Amino acid sequence: MYKIGHIKIILLIGWRNVFRNKRRSLIVASSIVVGIVVMMFSMAIMNGFNRQMLENTINTSLGHVAIHKKGFFADMNVALSFVPVDSLTIQSIRGVACTASRVKFEAMIQSSRSSQGVLVMGIEPEKEKCVSNIYDYVGKDKRVYITNSLGNDILISRSLASKLGIGIGDKCVIMLQDSRGVLAAHAFIVKGLYQSPIESFDKYVVYMGIHKAQEITGLRNAISEIIVRCTDKEFASSVAAAIASLNVGNLEVLTWKQMAPNIVQAIKLFDTMMYVFLAIIFISIIFTIANTMIMAIMERYREIGIMKSIGTQPSWIAGIVMAEACGLGVLGVFAGIVITYLLVAITGTTGINFAFYSESMRVWGTGTTIYPFITATNGIMATVIVLLNTIIASLYPAYKAAKIKPIDALHFI
Amino acid sequence: MEIIRVVNCIKDYHLDGQIVHALRGVDLSLKKGEFAAIAGPSGSGKTTLLNCIGGLDYPTKGAIYIEGTDISKLSPRELSRLRLFKIGFIFQAYNLIPVLTALENVEYILLLQGMGDSYRKQKATEVLELVGLQNEIHRLPHELSGGQQQRVAIARAIVSNPAIVLADEPTANVDQKTGSTLLDLMEHLNKEKQITFLFSTHDPMVMKRAHRLIHITDGAIVQDAKVKRRLR
Repeated sequence: MYKIGHIKIILLIGWRNVFRNKRRSLIVASSIVVGIVVMMFSMAIMNGFNRQMLENTINTSLGHVAIHKKGFFADMNVALSFVPVDSLTIQSIRGVACTASRVKFEAMIQSSRSSQGVLVMGIEPEKEKCVSNIYDYVGKDKRVYITNSLGNDILISRSLASKLGIGIGDKCVIMLQDSRGVLAAHAFIVKGLYQSPIESFDKYVVYMGIHKAQEITGLRNAISEIIVRCTDKEFASSVAAAIASLNVGNLEVLTWKQMAPNIVQAIKLFDTMMYVFLAIIFISIIFTIANTMIMAIMERYREIGIMKSIGTQPSWIAGIVMAEACGLGVLGVFAGIVITYLLVAITGTTGINFAFYSESMRVWGTGTTIYPFITATNGIMATVIVLLNTIIASLYPAYKAAKIKPIDALHFI
Repeated sequence: MEIIRVVNCIKDYHLDGQIVHALRGVDLSLKKGEFAAIAGPSGSGKTTLLNCIGGLDYPTKGAIYIEGTDISKLSPRELSRLRLFKIGFIFQAYNLIPVLTALENVEYILLLQGMGDSYRKQKATEVLELVGLQNEIHRLPHELSGGQQQRVAIARAIVSNPAIVLADEPTANVDQKTGSTLLDLMEHLNKEKQITFLFSTHDPMVMKRAHRLIHITDGAIVQDAKVKRRLR
């Protein structure tokens, strides 16, 4: 039975052994530091990538929770509309920050040069500022944002404008099939150009005022969806459940996870790839530590023999070897975490510019500058993984040391 | 009172396919309080005999009794406990745990025995005072001279009041003056504390100072004589 004094002396000898061969310990600790920094910084970049991909998708169009008529989300049929429920009731739900209504329909935009199939979003200009980032995407000159929800102004993306060969102040025509199935065409003036971080969104989405959209689609006071912004995206499920419990009839309430399952899956895939990458790094760390500990044992062969001669139990010898490996691990983890947090603190503020990779970044919807961040869970996970690794790495050397026969060691020079 | 009895101890080694007879039927008895030395040329079997008595090695045949227990029949774990509680060891070099101070090295044995913190500290300090190292107790082995390190080893060997202290060429790595001082110390402990010492040596000074000299050649005892203590 081990007493506290026994554990103390095992840890003490193990810890002091770390500093016996300072150069070797420094090399091993450095390899752990490099492993930790690479692991945690990669995590931080991936965290930033995932967060920006998700936030941009949510902020550009999805919102945290959306209320549609059943089938609308899958079909986008303009006829699947509804007269809005009292948004004040929704806003009183805990976790809801704001709401905005939209009319959405598919249409064709035409200029004198080209045409393009688009999704038109009729928005409440002021309320939309709260549920999405479109106001920010129009650039610094906010005068180009839609102000009159009944006007003939539209916002299109810079890339769409380039394709259509039009700019601010130019005319274009939107052709659509209204809620009664009648084809119609309406002229609009481009009031502003926006650029979101998502390439596919820019190619496809056109904004106009909600009342104008209701007018040209014949929806009158009906809408296609209500977008709910929560105070935190993690509240989406509880908010959706609370809204669903309000007897919404034939409406469906979807969270961002349900609306963007591909994003959720992509994040899971990236996380899995990250774990594979980390496993490779840590397997190499295991071998480094194991190799070092075996060298240390060979150096101390006679010393271990003497310790066993005077009555030290094999489990103590194993404990001392494992304590030394853990000591190296603790030093490496501490230094690695400090360096990583410093790196993340700097790059989290300045961002890392992946402009050279901008086309791919826009496909993923992250924007070209990634802002890495690290969570406490990441830090705890890295610490636990490395310490577990050092323990695993020290098992074989500890076993070898415990098995040393004193008589063999005493003959060993 | 008989502390050690070796009965027809045979130890054979296999070396490069050849059998080497290290001990050829050794019989030996040691009483409490003896200050004895096993002497002989290199390869005569003195260290092998000491290792067998110390429970570090098993005899091929024969029996070894420590305070009446036949240790040749004990398991490695039981032998480890026997070494911890009954035998004190002094080796010629690399004796101490390098990362522990003199005090911690001496305390280590008591810690292994499960003694309490205050008792350990008090007893280890007392014994270090006894060997004249009261001012060096917080020094690490590399901060001590060779002689001082051997004094710590002696303190560690006697701190738990073992039945016998086995010393394998304890003066081999120190100069003659230091060796003589170490022998003075061990002789003093033998006389004052009735601690039994058994050396293996080919150092003439140790042979001169031993109260009983056992000569071993080719694995067999050829002479076992009590030596009259010279007036010093």
